[in-house]
Amino acid sequence: MADLERYSLPLAGESSIGSRTPLAEVAAGSTARPEGAYIHVPFCRHKCHYCDFYSFVDTQDRQEAFVARLEDELEHATDLGATVGSRLVTVFIGGGTPTLLRPPLLARMLAAVRRCLPLAPDADLEWTVEANPETVDAEIAAVLAAGGVNRVSLGAQSFDPQSLRALERDHRIESVAAALGHLREAGITNLNLDLIFGIPGSTLESWRGDLEAALALEPEHLSAYGLTYEPNTPLATKEARGEIEAVEEDLEASMYEDACNRLAAAGFERYEISNWARPGRACLHNLLYWRNRSWLAFGPSASGHLDGLRFKVVPRLGEWLDSKDPWPLSEWERLDEHGAFGEELMLGLRLTEGVDTAWLEDRLARCDAGGERRRALESALADGRLEQIGTRLRLTQRGTLLANTLLADLV
Amino acid sequence: MKIRNFSIIAHIDHGKSTLADRLLQATKAVSDREAREQLLDSMDLERERGITIKASAVTVNHEVDGERFQLNFIDTPGHVDFNYEVSRALSACEGAILVVDSTQGVQAQTVANAYLAIANDVELIPVVNKIDLPAADPDKVAMEIEQVLGLPAEDCIYVSAKTGRGIPELLEAICTRLPDPRPARTEHLRALIFDSIYDDYRGVIVYFRVFDGSIKTGDRIRMMGTGRTYPANELGRYTPRQQKVNQLGLAEVGYMVAGIKNLGDVRVGDTITLESNPAREPLPGYEEPRQMVFCDFYPSTGDGEGGRRADFESLREAVEKLHLNDASFTYQTQHSEALGFGFRCGFLGLLHMDIVQERLEREGGVEVVQTAPTVSYLVDLHEGATVEIHNPSELPDPSTILAIREPIVKLEIICPTDSIGDLMSLCDARRGIFRGQKFVSDGRQMLEYELPLAEIIYDFYDKLKSMTRGYGTMDYEIVEYRAADLAKVSILVNGNPVEALSLIAHRSNAELRSRAILARLKKQIDRHQFEIPLQAAIGTRVIARETIKAVRKNVTAKCYGGDVSRKRKLLEKQKEGKKRMKMVGSVNIPQEAFLAVLEQSE
Repeated sequence: MADLERYSLPLAGESSIGSRTPLAEVAAGSTARPEGAYIHVPFCRHKCHYCDFYSFVDTQDRQEAFVARLEDELEHATDLGATVGSRLVTVFIGGGTPTLLRPPLLARMLAAVRRCLPLAPDADLEWTVEANPETVDAEIAAVLAAGGVNRVSLGAQSFDPQSLRALERDHRIESVAAALGHLREAGITNLNLDLIFGIPGSTLESWRGDLEAALALEPEHLSAYGLTYEPNTPLATKEARGEIEAVEEDLEASMYEDACNRLAAAGFERYEISNWARPGRACLHNLLYWRNRSWLAFGPSASGHLDGLRFKVVPRLGEWLDSKDPWPLSEWERLDEHGAFGEELMLGLRLTEGVDTAWLEDRLARCDAGGERRRALESALADGRLEQIGTRLRLTQRGTLLANTLLADLV
Repeated sequence: MKIRNFSIIAHIDHGKSTLADRLLQATKAVSDREAREQLLDSMDLERERGITIKASAVTVNHEVDGERFQLNFIDTPGHVDFNYEVSRALSACEGAILVVDSTQGVQAQTVANAYLAIANDVELIPVVNKIDLPAADPDKVAMEIEQVLGLPAEDCIYVSAKTGRGIPELLEAICTRLPDPRPARTEHLRALIFDSIYDDYRGVIVYFRVFDGSIKTGDRIRMMGTGRTYPANELGRYTPRQQKVNQLGLAEVGYMVAGIKNLGDVRVGDTITLESNPAREPLPGYEEPRQMVFCDFYPSTGDGEGGRRADFESLREAVEKLHLNDASFTYQTQHSEALGFGFRCGFLGLLHMDIVQERLEREGGVEVVQTAPTVSYLVDLHEGATVEIHNPSELPDPSTILAIREPIVKLEIICPTDSIGDLMSLCDARRGIFRGQKFVSDGRQMLEYELPLAEIIYDFYDKLKSMTRGYGTMDYEIVEYRAADLAKVSILVNGNPVEALSLIAHRSNAELRSRAILARLKKQIDRHQFEIPLQAAIGTRVIARETIKAVRKNVTAKCYGGDVSRKRKLLEKQKEGKKRMKMVGSVNIPQEAFLAVLEQSE
């Protein structure tokens, strides 16, 4: 870790009022032109057992305080000059459950985004909001559409009641179709469904059922994530105690391969390890991540990236609300060239488009003193985890399932 | 003044220490105000575990019918891991009080202790204790004592050490029922060392009993076993306060400070005589301490090279310091491919091992990783020599071996009658030889078995406790080394033997044990990009096999909402983890895999 430059946050207090955080310094002088913005809304009606994003059930009704504080943060970013000369082509409001905000507050938040951030014209803008199917009714759908949102990502996760129970997921299966209906009626027609495979108790048959049910709803985009047992989640605890049993690795692999085959047959293209879209419908915001572009981040625990500088907003709502610093960050780091190259490989190889070989050679020449990365790449090419198509180097399907065996040697 | 030398022996928690305190109080050696709980046990650990680890001796006076008695109370370790030390302490006595809890009855340790006393020709006074408790059934317990140990029920004295009931009767019995010490057999000094402790300020304090002759302050003495000589700088006794004296005579008990720096220089059972006028023969019964159970200790935390070295140093310090206080365990530096630097230690028995481990952690302040215990083996070679080994890797080339001998114990179990069947199956499965069965009382029986020590150090006691719902007790004593059909089992990962995982097993259960080990290993080694066979083999013959399938899926699904740093750190962690693993051939074996095999017993 010696290769990365790391700062510690100045203690919150009088001294930081009016002064600029190191990020502000960097942002002000940065040549980065952010192309997107991520906004994190931490509220949930119920905490699902697999989730390790920052979210909680708010018992103090701090929705209004949240929106007011977010407005400050957005305005401040503009003041800082973080957005000078840039035009944002994506906005992604994630959570938590953004659609849990009461309609007037949701509208106010969307208006603030539009007011404060230099958004591209509507035709060039992808504006996504994440939603729990249960929270989307006609009113919410109308508020989203009126606010400028043109893409919604619904956490369907599974269409199997037993699997939903295993995840402690708090929605009814039929609410997914209903939510899609409300959104389409409101004019939002770029829709994603999130699915999770490898849920304890699931089988290849139940997973195929999930895929069919999702396809029947005709989304433009599908994400299929293998269930991850994140540390400190109830799910991981239950697994450690033996109360639930993770599905066999082989079954999980078969589920993934099944998804690849079935979705390809249905006309979806896999453009990233866990993401499929109809042609032209890949999520532009997520592509910013994988292509290592710059984006801003707002709201507690949100992560952003400005031309090599990675940063994170303070992770707790209370701390964030109370902070005297208008854009309170908890961590930031700028990797050296060697580290940054590792990250770019880690991100780029997740994409079906892979990485450019000329770029790769250039970087290897400069950032691979021990030859460790080249050896790892060559061995993956030799054993069929990597393939070269024209001037692009990318993971094969087998390599996709074993991505970490390669990426761990490249970071 | 007549002298009575005696000990108290009991099963754990039957009230030995409370009784000792009460006796001291009753003789006014300790005032009521001064009386504190369990005066003789000086270590926290001892009090917590309810056992006495190190002996000391206390002298008090008592009068019966106008006749004055000097009572020398010699404390004994409470467990037969310290069998030899107990037997030396008992041989310094003419009598012993056998304490049995009136709510618990005769237990395995009661029997083992009583046998040891009888073997040392010590007169027993059976005492039924805790008669103040509502659940007490003293008559039944007295019958058990008669039934199992052959001591007449009517000889039992009923006592409550807590309330003091029966204490005067017991004191009187000590004076009147125990025999006089034997007369001198030579005029030369012969004194038996029955204990020694290390004092930070005065060095080693030696406890002894004079059998012949006498010793004066300033005498130059010689230890007949080790041949070392020392000046007897200070003599004294504990009353229980320390009291210096100028001379200790026939049959008396006391301590000596003689400028001895190292506890290892003093051997329990050795005979003290005068350098100027030595006895010709030492007192009988001296033996070298013998370590029967072995395990490795490694520092438990040790991320990074620097951290590991620092921790090993603090472990070394703790081990060396503890050894000053307990010379009966041995230690030598050990380097494991998997666990780094540590110590291989030898112990008198399993309890001794637990105590050392706890004291290292508590007094030494180091956390240790302890490997599964093994026993010592004697290997007879064709060329006539015998070597002792404590580690499978020390086993000589099989073609040179005539026989491998292992320690055998005599085991006593006292248990509820309804668990006899289960326990007999357990003993059979552990290569036990049935030696006898005795009626204890309604609903309780005693079983006697001979078993290899190696078979009881593997979770035998836990199984016994669960089979008897906690009511069963056991005790054992090592009787001999016996040849058995033992072999070294090698563990091979992807065809490469991993020496740190090898074991010595009996051929009859080598397969079963190997399979359990391979199953554990399989859980701990990550899938690789190729299939990995795990094998257990005796020589070239494979006796068990498992396969770790090739990895099919190892990919992070999520993008963590753009938290790229987090994702990178996860991968870096994976990479770091791989670096810390032990490469065997082309397989990465994590430290946890070694521990899973070495730490667990079954």
